[in-house]
Amino acid sequence: MTFGKHVREHREILKSRDRRFSVRQVARRIGVEPAYLSKIERGDVAPPSEAKTRALARELGEDPDVLLAMAGKVSSDLQEIIRKRPRLFAELIRQLKSAPDHAILHIARDVRDGDW
Amino acid sequence: MIELSNNQLTFRFPEVHQKAVCRINFQRTLRIPDDNREYPLPPGLGRFPVEHVDDFADNLPETWRTHGGVFIPMYQSEALWINFPSSRYPCAVKIAAGRINAVSGKPWSNGLSDDQDYAVIPEQPWLDGFNVSEDHIRQFVAMPLGEGFTAEEQITGKVEHGGLQIIVYPMKHDIFMEHFERYGKICSYTLEEGPMFLSAPDMGLAPGGLMRQEIHEDEYGIDAWDQDNGLRCFVHLVNSAHYLAITGHRPPHKPPTADDYTSAGLPWFDYYDDSRALAGSRILSRLHSVAAKMIEQGKGLMPDNDPVQPGIVKVIRKGNVVRDGRF
Repeated sequence: MTFGKHVREHREILKSRDRRFSVRQVARRIGVEPAYLSKIERGDVAPPSEAKTRALARELGEDPDVLLAMAGKVSSDLQEIIRKRPRLFAELIRQLKSAPDHAILHIARDVRDGDW
Repeated sequence: MIELSNNQLTFRFPEVHQKAVCRINFQRTLRIPDDNREYPLPPGLGRFPVEHVDDFADNLPETWRTHGGVFIPMYQSEALWINFPSSRYPCAVKIAAGRINAVSGKPWSNGLSDDQDYAVIPEQPWLDGFNVSEDHIRQFVAMPLGEGFTAEEQITGKVEHGGLQIIVYPMKHDIFMEHFERYGKICSYTLEEGPMFLSAPDMGLAPGGLMRQEIHEDEYGIDAWDQDNGLRCFVHLVNSAHYLAITGHRPPHKPPTADDYTSAGLPWFDYYDDSRALAGSRILSRLHSVAAKMIEQGKGLMPDNDPVQPGIVKVIRKGNVVRDGRF
């Protein structure tokens, strides 16, 4: 599903329960013009900036990382982590790309016991 | 292995039993007045941040790298309690401050002593301080090393270790199966519950005010614990003033004073459990509290140490142990 379609569907579900989730009101709360949010939902324009996508995620109660991924973006804090140690994290992500979710969730780091 | 996640240490013993897991976190709290009056349990104000020593090794003293483990930020004179949440598998936990056993007052040794120098989880839901009498502990209060306040310095006369030391032993597999699995008996309760390093950031724990709290007697006996499968962790205490420089993370705000908290009408707690309590340690009972030591050293009265009269004291019982304070 495209970013715009996902946002529209999710917003419409919320609007059916609460009128504050109209295009106009959501647009106002995230600080964009209603016409721009409509265009995003229709896929007429590219997804918005990271900051606006995060604001939209907060507004709609969605995971910002998931919404950013749908918008074809990677959170700037994750980019920063990778940029600091690109070889290590690129290797780690490639190694884990096919691992099942539970295996990834169970990757844990041991607290090292030293000499005392 | 020991994992660190969400500022909580999880000790896992899969080689003993799949359920053999013990969780420990460190709760921020208010410092109770150190005036020899007896106080109920202060609240938990959330977990202290916990960091791997290895993640900030370049900014930490060489001795910390040797010790390994983790570190937490504390302000001078700040108190903490050690929380043992959601235990389903019994474990024996030995806690020391500056390698002085917080239950027996004796120097650290691996292994458990017949004289019960450990607490049994989940019977013991938390530990707030040094075991000074059958019904009382003296609150753990962070003080800089080298000024003579910590239990370690008062007992050994030396400044060597600081911090907290923990070792956890799970119940032996066969004994667990016998007690808990065979009859389907469930034993669980839910608790809510470039080198920038210039001067020593090291803190140790000193005995503070008197609090009503018991260390519960081991109902299973020392042979119930699998001492071949212990896991240890050194928890360093870094002065909050250094924490930002070392990690780049802001330490939590200072906790409220006991007076501010009580004046805001917020609750204190009393815990009732009819199991037998250990006697206090004679060694620990002879320690001078922080306030007494300050007077002894000619430093005057301890700040923010006025007596308080806890207005609301919530009674909590085994099986429903929530000790959460919002401020």
